[in-house]
Amino acid sequence: MTSSEIVLKVEDVEKGYSDKKVLNGVSFEIDKGQIKVICGSSGSGKSTLLRCLNLLTRPDKGRIWLEGEEITKGLDNVNRVRQKIGFVFQEFNLFNHLTALRNVSIALQVVKKMSKDEAKALAMKELERVNLENEAHKYPAQLSGGQKQRVAIARALAMNPVIMFYDEPTSALDPQLIGEVLDVMKKLAKEKLTSLVVTHEIGFARSVADEILFMGDGKILERGPPNQIIENPAHEDVRQFFRRINELYRREQR
Amino acid sequence: MTVELIVVSVPIGVALAILLGVARVYGNKPISLVATTVVGTFRGLPAIVTLFIIFFALPDLGIYFSSYWSAVIGFVLVTGAYQSEYVRGSIQSVESGQSLAAQSLGMSRSQEILHIILPQAIRAALPGISNEVIYLVLYSSLASYIGVQEMFGVARTFNSLEFRPIEIFLTAGLLYAALATVCFVGFRMIERRLRIPGLEIAK
Repeated sequence: MTSSEIVLKVEDVEKGYSDKKVLNGVSFEIDKGQIKVICGSSGSGKSTLLRCLNLLTRPDKGRIWLEGEEITKGLDNVNRVRQKIGFVFQEFNLFNHLTALRNVSIALQVVKKMSKDEAKALAMKELERVNLENEAHKYPAQLSGGQKQRVAIARALAMNPVIMFYDEPTSALDPQLIGEVLDVMKKLAKEKLTSLVVTHEIGFARSVADEILFMGDGKILERGPPNQIIENPAHEDVRQFFRRINELYRREQR
Repeated sequence: MTVELIVVSVPIGVALAILLGVARVYGNKPISLVATTVVGTFRGLPAIVTLFIIFFALPDLGIYFSSYWSAVIGFVLVTGAYQSEYVRGSIQSVESGQSLAAQSLGMSRSQEILHIILPQAIRAALPGISNEVIYLVLYSSLASYIGVQEMFGVARTFNSLEFRPIEIFLTAGLLYAALATVCFVGFRMIERRLRIPGLEIAK
């Protein structure tokens, strides 16, 4: 059997805002090389969960370990931990005043203290990895949504993270641009880059995920291999969710 | 002398404005309170009163500044206070996603402010800043009242000797207008140079 080295371990994470509790005790773990997908209706806490795992938001309760190191308690330097996690946002969040190349290389220079040339070379390599070497000198405003998201992925990859978080990476894209981003994500999944993906793209989950975690009401309602969760879930809410999605697809095909 | 005053006061004033703006947005309670007080004070006093306090009143406390330096300090405080509001507004107008992205890459707060937020905020604040700089060119004339040999002061002295107010004050006015025009053009060039490609509204 392949060694199971736990990259991310999450235990009883809770998070509430003044009016409501968004995360009600979430626990799971991800081994090295695994791709896990989080599905669920809007408001189930998916995005909040990702932001807690990256410490962009502080969870109220619960513990999180990254590569065996507990990051929720007594952490000396949160920035060091954030470097190990690659985060891809739904709204891309590219740096508007920088070219695609500079977007990818800036953190390498500023955070990792690489020389200008080293950073530039590595950034070009990452842009090639996402098929965007020809747009390196374009600014975000000159790029299409799919190109922006691929630059964002390259930017996250350049930091050589141990795990990638994708927060609904294709939800803000026009349908015809979704494919190019999913192709990049599938390619990275094949390279066994440990990933946690929040998405509605069931096709992607089915073809690439090792496990689907279905969230509802701030908890994981059910988890299991994609085929089991999508075709034959045990939990009623999960069944309803996928039934509705299937109906939508069938209606469109008519 | 007018030109000298402006060339010195403007850069220091802009620097102060950025410092105050950042302090008010990102500073902890004490720092942001100090910054807010400074801004409130010098926006609340007429520039001439500020100049008089520095030049005429401070000596009573044992602090002496020459006419020139009183003017520079006064102008830096006044223009810095007004410009800091533009800076503060433009920092707050940068989308929060930019911050999130910077933090997610492991940037510290100061790295985030220096490399990501300020470059975008300053571009947005430029129109406001250029406005304030042009005002400064014009109210630099107040420095004549604390003894600085600048254009308006010289014009008044000249007029009391020659009594040709139309020619003298119109000329002074034209000179100020010329300086202001240089600033208009200068700022337009700066804005063009710093413009981010792709954000122009399609014609």
